[in-house]
Amino acid sequence: MGRHRSSGRRPQRYKDVTHGRTGRGDAFRCVACRLDVPLVAPGTAHRNHCPHCLTSLHLDRRVPGDRAAECRGRMTVLSMSVRADGEWQLIHQCRSCGKLGANRIAGDDNPLALLRLALRPLTDSTRPIRALLTL
Amino acid sequence: MSTGTTDSGRNHPASPRVDTFGCVRCGLTVTTVDPAGDRRNHCPSCLHSRHVVDHVEGGPSECGARMSPISIAVLRNGDWMLVHRCIRCDELTSSAIAPDDNQLILIRMAVRPLAQPPFPLEVFGEL
Repeated sequence: MGRHRSSGRRPQRYKDVTHGRTGRGDAFRCVACRLDVPLVAPGTAHRNHCPHCLTSLHLDRRVPGDRAAECRGRMTVLSMSVRADGEWQLIHQCRSCGKLGANRIAGDDNPLALLRLALRPLTDSTRPIRALLTL
Repeated sequence: MSTGTTDSGRNHPASPRVDTFGCVRCGLTVTTVDPAGDRRNHCPSCLHSRHVVDHVEGGPSECGARMSPISIAVLRNGDWMLVHRCIRCDELTSSAIAPDDNQLILIRMAVRPLAQPPFPLEVFGEL
């Protein structure tokens, strides 16, 4: 529900990543919850995380899709970010080397997990009061 | 990020409290040490930072562009971390927040996802 949805969506980069190493071709298995996830996702051409537990895998180095990272560690979700056009974006952090990555949410991501993540900073009730006191 | 030292910083090398840097966005001159005694890497007023450390390769970065705050991360102990994104090369970094950081901008970033939810939030009331 982006505020600037009418201005047109940014075209997505063409995805030329092969998933040959998994041996399945059209699916990958989540490293955290072992869910079999199809590669096609509603709303995005760049699914990189499990729609159930939002966990990802550290495969890319600098450019998304380059598959150049030797780490291959588990990337757990760290926080929720909002792009300028209002799209939600997950921030992942590699548990093995600490690298950060961002990926848009997909249409079939678990809404409860997403909302729980988005509400995480607001569970500290003292901070909004401190913000009001600075006024 | 520390972009340069003032004359007062050079005159007192033993006292880092007088070392300052200028914010690349709002131009505010801030001390490199926050009130808690830790080294800061972003402006306490606008929370913008500067890309001087390369976290992919390690070591100093050649980019040097401005980094804007994009997200609040909560650690296990309840502390907040600030996630920055470089506006030039899109690298992400995270840093701890300082006690004198602008609380209004922090809260604004924390509630930002709820202002534009991708699905209707009313459904969650029935769960």
